[in-house]
Amino acid sequence: MPRSPRSSNPVLPDRPLRLFGGAAVAAGIALLVVLVLWAMAAAAAGTAASGRTVDVAHLLRMTSIQAGLTTVLSLGVGTALAWALNRLRFAGRDLVVGLFASAIVTPGIVVAFGLLAVWGRSGWVNDAARTLFGAPLDISIFGLGGILAAHVILDGAFAARIILSRMDGVTPARLKTGQSLGLSAWQRFAIIDWPAIRGTLPGLGAIIFLLAFTSFPIVLLLGGGPANQTLEVAIFAAAKLDFDLNAAVLLALTQIGVCAAVVFAASAFSPVPSSVGASRAHRWSDRPAASALQWLVLVAATLGFAMPLLAVLVHGIGSIADVATRPTFWRGVATSLIIATLSAALTLGLALVLTLARASSANPAVRTALGIPAYTYLAVPAVVLALGFFLLVRNFGITPDTAAPAVVVLANSLLALPFAVATIGPPLDAIAQSRGKLIRSLGLGGWRQFALVEWPLIAPEAGLAVALAFCFSLGDLGVIALFGTQDFATLPLLMQRALGAYRSNDAAGIAAVMLILTVAAFVSLPRLFARLAHARA
Amino acid sequence: MLVLDRLTYMHPGQASGYEFSMTARPGEITAIRGPSGSGKSTLLDLVAGFLAPAGGALTLDGRSLIPLAPEERPVSILFQAESLFEHLSAGDNMALGLPAGTPATERAARIAAALTEVGLPDVVRQRADTLSGGQKQRVALARTLLRNRPVLLLDEPFSSLDDETRYTTRALVAELTARHNWITVLVSHHTDDVAALAAQSYRIEGGKLVSEAKR
Repeated sequence: MPRSPRSSNPVLPDRPLRLFGGAAVAAGIALLVVLVLWAMAAAAAGTAASGRTVDVAHLLRMTSIQAGLTTVLSLGVGTALAWALNRLRFAGRDLVVGLFASAIVTPGIVVAFGLLAVWGRSGWVNDAARTLFGAPLDISIFGLGGILAAHVILDGAFAARIILSRMDGVTPARLKTGQSLGLSAWQRFAIIDWPAIRGTLPGLGAIIFLLAFTSFPIVLLLGGGPANQTLEVAIFAAAKLDFDLNAAVLLALTQIGVCAAVVFAASAFSPVPSSVGASRAHRWSDRPAASALQWLVLVAATLGFAMPLLAVLVHGIGSIADVATRPTFWRGVATSLIIATLSAALTLGLALVLTLARASSANPAVRTALGIPAYTYLAVPAVVLALGFFLLVRNFGITPDTAAPAVVVLANSLLALPFAVATIGPPLDAIAQSRGKLIRSLGLGGWRQFALVEWPLIAPEAGLAVALAFCFSLGDLGVIALFGTQDFATLPLLMQRALGAYRSNDAAGIAAVMLILTVAAFVSLPRLFARLAHARA
Repeated sequence: MLVLDRLTYMHPGQASGYEFSMTARPGEITAIRGPSGSGKSTLLDLVAGFLAPAGGALTLDGRSLIPLAPEERPVSILFQAESLFEHLSAGDNMALGLPAGTPATERAARIAAALTEVGLPDVVRQRADTLSGGQKQRVALARTLLRNRPVLLLDEPFSSLDDETRYTTRALVAELTARHNWITVLVSHHTDDVAALAAQSYRIEGGKLVSEAKR
């Protein structure tokens, strides 16, 4: 009996295997969420109260203030920086744009360390002040100010890259019209740019709020004491340092509740495009006064972002030789690379199965069911996920040490999955929409469709998804902090231990290695994938 | 013979729908004229299977096409643009018109023969995005030769071509239709395309096909 074109959307080829694969992965991921929540709830029910009081309201207030201020400041800085980058043309502009694009993957612990190297008591700024004025400046990098500075450096740069892509997307015809009308710099921003970017800001703000709300290494390193402690750090302290599971679970459930509400609210906003490619726009320079302001913004932002990273390299490169003599360092490098590689491969596999299934269906309910499980992990921060897995494997009678490698790979992969799905999904959907008729009229099978049409076209995005997952895993401290042992430690954990033991030279060396590995992976992996696909095509 | 007999369709949210009736014969080009938005592409989508009709009949030599999925229909389509995958070579694009298991030597020979028939024997290794608009349409036509389906649907295929390329591509379509006895349905809003090619033509008025003078 021939199939009826009424049975499904006739523009999209029937791909039951893809839908089955996607449904299986989505169900598996959803089941894990349920198991993690169940393990936490069971632990909370079965553990006697420690007697220690946890001030949830204070933690919630501090975390919200910190995340709210980060969001407002990052959107402001990001908009100003995107405005400057959109207008100015100079040699090395692509490099600067690429530098800001890399903010999303720069490990928080590395940035925090870099800030200490620039603004700390013995940092560059105070050294310069001592030389010039005979006394250091009265600035403390610890506390709320330090946390905000680190977050704005990372999230402001991330926001700038996203907003810049929207500004660059303004059509040449619109710009030429504005130019012919002689719009001032302010009119140009208000009339042409603002309508293009305002739809992105709520969704972008929600993501930045979540990133700041769940920030772990930066608050751990720069928090400066309990007054500025956030939920994430309090969970870690309760679970790992105080062994107070009851308090940890209570805090974790609070954290999930707030994050889930933000994710739910954010889902109503416009999607945020993933933009890391070169930026191109119609050439139209503003008047000299505006250009001067744009240069000022660009120089300040570039210095603010690049200086801490430069400080990491300057301090760290000299220490690499010392730290490289320790076997634990090389074990850490190997462990980090293996974990990151496996995690990135798993992320790509899961993201491909989910997004191929989503692209093969036009049914909104099916597409939502296939997407929600992946995005659920935006609401489950790394430390909370790690705590859930810790309790889960314990419930199954497995020692956390035995499960650690597999759990860290899986947890890192799940945490990168929303970003991978958001990166690979839109181009696959676009192929299905624009080429679905042709693919279907040619009667291509699923494998030929993937190998000949889809993979070569999405390879750069797949490379970007792999790079994101690899770098996230490489810089993760939240999961490994709970599962790491003396024999199983990644570079961020080794760096944290070095800082805790006041071995700052070792920490500098490790930070430099992490930064170099991160940048190398972020730059090379998308290119490698694009080249491989090109060779195949 | 391709017959549309009161083939009806209504786009969601639209007040009025379409009811198409027409006959197209082998070895001839049947043209459908009409302004943008009149329903020309809807008609092609119904014949190709991308839209499911609400009622009526669609038959080829007495056999109903309505139960068939798009890939099962005896139909090839040439779009205004994007008939080729830009990242693949001309040869790889054409290979998509052959069954998956076709042996490499047979595949190469058939592709070469089809490209020669459309006057492009040397582009087999060239990436589609390096071909001109006219060359792309010829490669897509060569692929329809490999697919060997009796019905060819042309959706504004000459619209993006310059005048000279348009005349030569038009002549090629007429020649291939006659040689392979295809039932070719051409959708166009260019009256000169219709005048030059069509054995019979229809225009869409108020959602229905109105027959025009035969050539």
